[in-house]
Amino acid sequence: MSWGPCFMYYHCPECGKKFKSATDMIQDLGPKFGMCPVCGAEGVLDKEGARTPDDADYEEID
Amino acid sequence: MADLKNKRIITAAVTGAWPKKENNPNVPLTPAEISEDVYACWKAGAAVAHLHMRDDNGNGTMDKNKFAETVKLLRANHPDCDIVLNMTTSGDLYATDETRQIHLKELKPEMGSYDCGSMNWMNSGLFINSPAFLEELGKNMQEWGVKPEIEAFDPGMIANAAYYLKKGVLKAPLHFQFCMGCANGITGSMKNLVFMKETMESLCPGSTWSAFGVGKSAMEMLYGAVAMGGHVRVGMEDNVVYQKGVLADSNAQFVERAARVIREFGLEVATPDEAREILSLK
Repeated sequence: MSWGPCFMYYHCPECGKKFKSATDMIQDLGPKFGMCPVCGAEGVLDKEGARTPDDADYEEID
Repeated sequence: MADLKNKRIITAAVTGAWPKKENNPNVPLTPAEISEDVYACWKAGAAVAHLHMRDDNGNGTMDKNKFAETVKLLRANHPDCDIVLNMTTSGDLYATDETRQIHLKELKPEMGSYDCGSMNWMNSGLFINSPAFLEELGKNMQEWGVKPEIEAFDPGMIANAAYYLKKGVLKAPLHFQFCMGCANGITGSMKNLVFMKETMESLCPGSTWSAFGVGKSAMEMLYGAVAMGGHVRVGMEDNVVYQKGVLADSNAQFVERAARVIREFGLEVATPDEAREILSLK
């Protein structure tokens, strides 16, 4: 049984950018995981879980 | 029989326990949909079908009647389909030890999943495979003639399989499914896939193996498994997107891609009968 990737969904407190990364990207992204891809600020965790159909407004960072 | 060393088995995991129509409208949920998808995957080159069932609300279930209905429809509508059936024992986190295996006893598929340890699930729940359950399941699968597909989400589960092998709960040769990139399991990378393979070879020599990656690691694990002599699993249980931002059209689409990759490597796609030889099912 698998469940697809588990995502962590963030928004940037500085620029408002919404973004998400699968937890297995912690290995690849290292300290950049959870950081805003635009301004580099530490993201605020909004939610986590499996991919959902309404999550397109969160850019996938990998 | 052709040289089996050059054959690669494609397992189609068409449904799984979580994706619903709102995640991908093409995921099959009913016995009729699942049986048709299995047939399409077989036509595309899948030798093994890994089956999960859903209840009437689309939630994962271990209802033996759903498994039976699916098999009945597949056999009735497609008598030419000789695909190996591999039924999950982990289709509902709240199922009892009994309901997780009664379908194996009654339907006697050639294979069934054997999740060789417990883990946190998606950082939200418990995926429990207690020692008592694993001992009972292993012994029952031997008695019922169902080959365990040992799903290993991390190297510790391979070590656990070696323990059950020594104890007689499992019988060699073992067959592993390396589940890569699942939350709380080992991440999907080539380095980790090599480690899983080497751990298996040191602890359970002579075993066969397959792999899949969820999410971004799907393609890396597909290519990596084929390159390193393993078999592969694809399908919407593990990935509802075909590539980044693009929903899959069908499960067969994944199988077709896996078959292309295997052939591009100069290898061949195993037929169900060849898979039976490779996996020592007969």
